[in-house]
Amino acid sequence: MKKLLYVLSLLVIASMVLTACGGGAATEAPAATEAPAATEAPATEAPAATEAPSGEKVQIRWFVGLGTGTNPEQVAVQEEVVSDFNASQDKIELVLEIVPFDSARDTLSTQIASGAGPDIVGPVGWGGSNDFYGQWLDITPYIESSGFDLSVFDPALVKFYQTEEGQVGLPFAVFPGAMYFIPAMFDEAGLNYPPQVYGEKYVMPDGTEADWNWDTITQVAKLLTVDKNGKNSTEEGFDRTSILQVGYTPQWQSVLSVGTFYGGAAKIYSGDAKGSYESTIPDSWKEGWKWYYDGMYGEQPYIATGPLAGAPEFGNGNLFNAGKSAMGLTQTWYTCCLGDFKTAGLEFQLGIQPIGANGEVAGRVDADTFRILKGSKHPAEAFDVLAYLITTGGDKLLPQYGAMPAIASKTDAFFEQKSADYPFVTDESWNVFIQGLAYPDAPSSEQYQPNSIKANARFATFFDLMNNTEGLDFDAEYQKLVDDLNAIYNE
Amino acid sequence: MLEQLEKLPKLPSLSLLRQMAPLSRREMRNGLLFLSPWLFGFLAFTLLPMIATLIFSFLNLRITDGIFSAPKFVGFENYGQLFKDPQAGINPTTWFSSKTPSSLLITVKFALFALPIGIFAPLGLALLMNNKYLKGQFVFRSLFYMPFIVPFVASVFLWGGMLNTETGWINRLLLFLGVAKDTLPQWANDVNWVYPTYVIMGIWGIGNAMLIMLAGLQGVPTELYDAARVDGANSWATFWNITFPMISPVIFYNLVLNIVGLFQYFLVPLVVNNGTGRPGGATMFYNLYLYKTFFTFQNMSYGSTLAWFLFLVILLITLLLFATAKYWVYYAGETRS
Repeated sequence: MKKLLYVLSLLVIASMVLTACGGGAATEAPAATEAPAATEAPATEAPAATEAPSGEKVQIRWFVGLGTGTNPEQVAVQEEVVSDFNASQDKIELVLEIVPFDSARDTLSTQIASGAGPDIVGPVGWGGSNDFYGQWLDITPYIESSGFDLSVFDPALVKFYQTEEGQVGLPFAVFPGAMYFIPAMFDEAGLNYPPQVYGEKYVMPDGTEADWNWDTITQVAKLLTVDKNGKNSTEEGFDRTSILQVGYTPQWQSVLSVGTFYGGAAKIYSGDAKGSYESTIPDSWKEGWKWYYDGMYGEQPYIATGPLAGAPEFGNGNLFNAGKSAMGLTQTWYTCCLGDFKTAGLEFQLGIQPIGANGEVAGRVDADTFRILKGSKHPAEAFDVLAYLITTGGDKLLPQYGAMPAIASKTDAFFEQKSADYPFVTDESWNVFIQGLAYPDAPSSEQYQPNSIKANARFATFFDLMNNTEGLDFDAEYQKLVDDLNAIYNE
Repeated sequence: MLEQLEKLPKLPSLSLLRQMAPLSRREMRNGLLFLSPWLFGFLAFTLLPMIATLIFSFLNLRITDGIFSAPKFVGFENYGQLFKDPQAGINPTTWFSSKTPSSLLITVKFALFALPIGIFAPLGLALLMNNKYLKGQFVFRSLFYMPFIVPFVASVFLWGGMLNTETGWINRLLLFLGVAKDTLPQWANDVNWVYPTYVIMGIWGIGNAMLIMLAGLQGVPTELYDAARVDGANSWATFWNITFPMISPVIFYNLVLNIVGLFQYFLVPLVVNNGTGRPGGATMFYNLYLYKTFFTFQNMSYGSTLAWFLFLVILLITLLLFATAKYWVYYAGETRS
């Protein structure tokens, strides 16, 4: 009996060990996976539309799940758009495929691998797209052959979708950045508000004018960082153990975004094959990260440390929403999540994104769009559908996606809705978002990197370390990051 | 071996089944029916994954790579990589040559620190609970057990809040008591404090182990204590010669479970330190590394290899424990050769 118990015990232990992780809840968002390098050069001529047997419609499959679009309300609207499209012509039959976000990546991978991939995928952001780097069709030939009018977009946004794979998408839903700020905190500190027009300067308390750059923001943010005794971080006797509010937070931004905002958009690796990849993080990003670290742990802090930001009193990381940060640099999508802020009776306005280390505005634009897979058997018809979704279909889709239209003439409806949500926000503030479309980060801070899951995880570890470690040997840790990235890229 | 197998109770053959009375057949069928959920669960969620991970460990399977190009058989390549991987750290030469702290070593170090506490703290509490002079045993027992019913993740978040270096009330209290800001413990953010922090969080949930120990203590026949008292044994002699041997199977059980649990240590560093290994890589436990390799980095093959190595390590330690059991674990009624 005892021996039987031994055997049973060992079996139980074996099963416990080998299934140990099965029940663990993943806390990290799925990151990009390594993908094969971009392959062939794009064709220069649009292939002719594939002929369907007489009387039959060409079926185009639209895959939804890598980004937004899976909520029941969104599904209903998407079905409506599909019906509208199918009723509008007799050559193509559009079929909608909704896959839950959690399994969408694996499902799409499987479909592509088995040669049964869909034609159109979206809406999808850069992160989701990078998972399938090398799989997207260069749509340049189809833009030309169809005569699609690109002038409806800001040229900077069209360029935004030009990667090494070619023109992989057209602007659809965009989320430009802005400096959210709480006027009441500025008033209390006797400070002028951030400028609301790109090119305008900031008026310092002494009346002098200064560029709205990171030096200026640092000075202002220090004055807005207040302890329980009402002292700001530049004053003698400021108590950093009892900070009530900080001056600035990069709200929900990654370390790559912090670098982009400070130093400007940049490709962060070089090389074109395993063995040749190398990290090329610009010095300005390193400088930006150092600035960020000093903002938390320097003599006169103005950014919340990791523990402070993570405290419930500070909104568990959602500082601006908790009314604990006077300024928060983030994108349009953040307007989704200011419920607590409104309930607390707070008001915000929007300022321009700052000038980066290179003397130019270093903005960021998050963006979702539709993409066509290289493996599509009917690329011309797929482009027809894509053009419809971006233009006519977008009228119904964008409000459901909560996204700002990339087509400038369609933005009024979006801002009407936002004005209804936040009646205290002025038109000048909303206009900051429109201006922000001219400052996309190309390449995006969510750009593709070789072995990107691991590379992004390594960046996240570095950010976490900065946020939570006082007395960090910054240069040594930065060098370790670069060394690790060089190894990860070439694994 | 064959002789041992012959001694095992035989399953009824088909002919025997036919000879069984209808009632017995029905009972057997019902028995199997009631067992079937567990059997199916075991097959689907334990045995099959075990077999699958064993196969994966000999392939080069990554979710996406494997889909774009079919996985290939790579023999012992993953096991070779495991031997060279400084992060896994199973090869002692990498402990000193690499800047990356070994996950295996981290796990062992933490286990050496946490294991004695994990055994003796519940035992100590159980002894207190079992003391005849303690008034309101039921209340204390319930109070100590209660934290165990709080979901573990929730309690980890609670502790994270309490031990927050900036806003946690423990540091606030220390500040109030005059501890200088510079000398306040940085808890989970400090290499020197992070393991004690984890242990403190762990102690919060020892109610279950305490209850098992208490059950063991209450199962010790009172006549043994009476006899010891008659013989003039003091408290220590009574504990060492009667209590400990009598509850040694329970201690053994807790010891095995604790060791398995410590080698699987995962959730706390994942939640408290975001699974990044911070501070200084000190919290990249072996099972966390396994999890990240398998699920985050989606390297299924290497993750499986890590899992099988972990299984072998735990198996070895458990076998060693079982081998030592005959020297210190006492089963009442057992005949020893």
